[in-house]
Amino acid sequence: MEAYYKEITDKIQKIAYKLLDEGKVDKIIGFGKGEFTDEVTPVFIVNKENVDKLLFSEKATPFLAKYLLNYKDEKVAITAKPCETRAINSYLSENLLQRENLIIIGINGCRGIEGNTACKECDVRNPVISDYTVGEELSDEEVSSMITNVYEDLENMNPEERNEYFQNEFERCTRCYACREACPVCYCEECFTDSNQPFWLDSSTQLKDTFTFHLMRSIHMAGRCINCGACEMACPENIDVRALSAKMYRAGEEIFDYKPGMDPEQKTLLAEYDVNDQEKGFLD
Amino acid sequence: MNNNENFEPKIVAYLCNWCSYAAADLAGSSRTQYPPNIRVIRVPCSGRIDPLLLIRAFNFGADGVLVSGCHPGDCHYLDGNYYARRRFVMLKELMTFAGIEEQRVNFTWCSASEGSRFGVVVKKVVDRVKEVGPWQGFDNKGFIGVDSSEEEGELTGGSIL
Repeated sequence: MEAYYKEITDKIQKIAYKLLDEGKVDKIIGFGKGEFTDEVTPVFIVNKENVDKLLFSEKATPFLAKYLLNYKDEKVAITAKPCETRAINSYLSENLLQRENLIIIGINGCRGIEGNTACKECDVRNPVISDYTVGEELSDEEVSSMITNVYEDLENMNPEERNEYFQNEFERCTRCYACREACPVCYCEECFTDSNQPFWLDSSTQLKDTFTFHLMRSIHMAGRCINCGACEMACPENIDVRALSAKMYRAGEEIFDYKPGMDPEQKTLLAEYDVNDQEKGFLD
Repeated sequence: MNNNENFEPKIVAYLCNWCSYAAADLAGSSRTQYPPNIRVIRVPCSGRIDPLLLIRAFNFGADGVLVSGCHPGDCHYLDGNYYARRRFVMLKELMTFAGIEEQRVNFTWCSASEGSRFGVVVKKVVDRVKEVGPWQGFDNKGFIGVDSSEEEGELTGGSIL
């Protein structure tokens, strides 16, 4: 293991041991070694003897933040990548979690996760909320120098080509909802797609309905999506499911200067308004 | 794109009860002429309109949608249209990015006294939709698990309506 990750891993283990030893938390949610070589899976540590199972590496693909919603009434510590701290902020802003029940071990200066294209676009590489941090912080200049727009080609296409691209992608969708389940900020009690009162769309896998599903999912995530790439990594058909919600992320930033999940007090984009909002695309 | 001379688009119009619906009424009682292509759905406020409803209209084969609410500052419920405005801006960004012609997605403000303006708006929207032709559905490229280049035309998905 690289020295950089070794150092982070050691620090996480130390903090975790201390927290469990002092009885500050009931459980630690972290990354651990999986059954196969190099695989990283979520681990839930309750005994302080087991903290050596915790680790962090560039293969830490799971998103742990969503597990917090299963332990609302327990005192939990979590090792969180910067993107996950943003998801935690949205939980806090919607009163899904109690801040006092939660200890966040943030990972500073995240260099990106293997196989996640969203990390190339990442604009927040230091935790935005944390009790403990591990690793070295990256400066703003370093962070902005690491940003590349993955979807530049797609943006430069004409609408017809883009439409064809998306049809080609969504044609493979089997409506398994892995993207929905993986998304850290997708947590409605009843999903619009499962609802039959009101009824939104057929649960078929015809292109007509899969395309509609992805459009609906993306507009639902507008102003929530933290552009973490969990949906894309979860997709068993390798569909570019992030393209639409990443567009919503960029549009929110460009038009309304809005970045989701930066502050626990922040409302989501569509839950507030400014009287002087611009009316882009309205008829005169 | 406009291959059908006699194409009469079906446009779903979501009108706010307090302004645009009354404007449509005024347009009627003052005998303003406007194209009969809109199907009006009366809603209590433009803030009532979930963007999913508009996407769903396309799923069901509408050629275009029109949303008309009260001018900013005039909302019957004080701020419903401010919320709506953000939603529609984001929806339009999404639809355009997904390659749906921007002419099909129309938003405007129309107060209860603007009967003649309502006629002008409807005419404009109908012209815009006519410009891009009939809605071919989200599946118009014929990707149904086969190479579309060979069986062009035959496998083109249709709309429900």
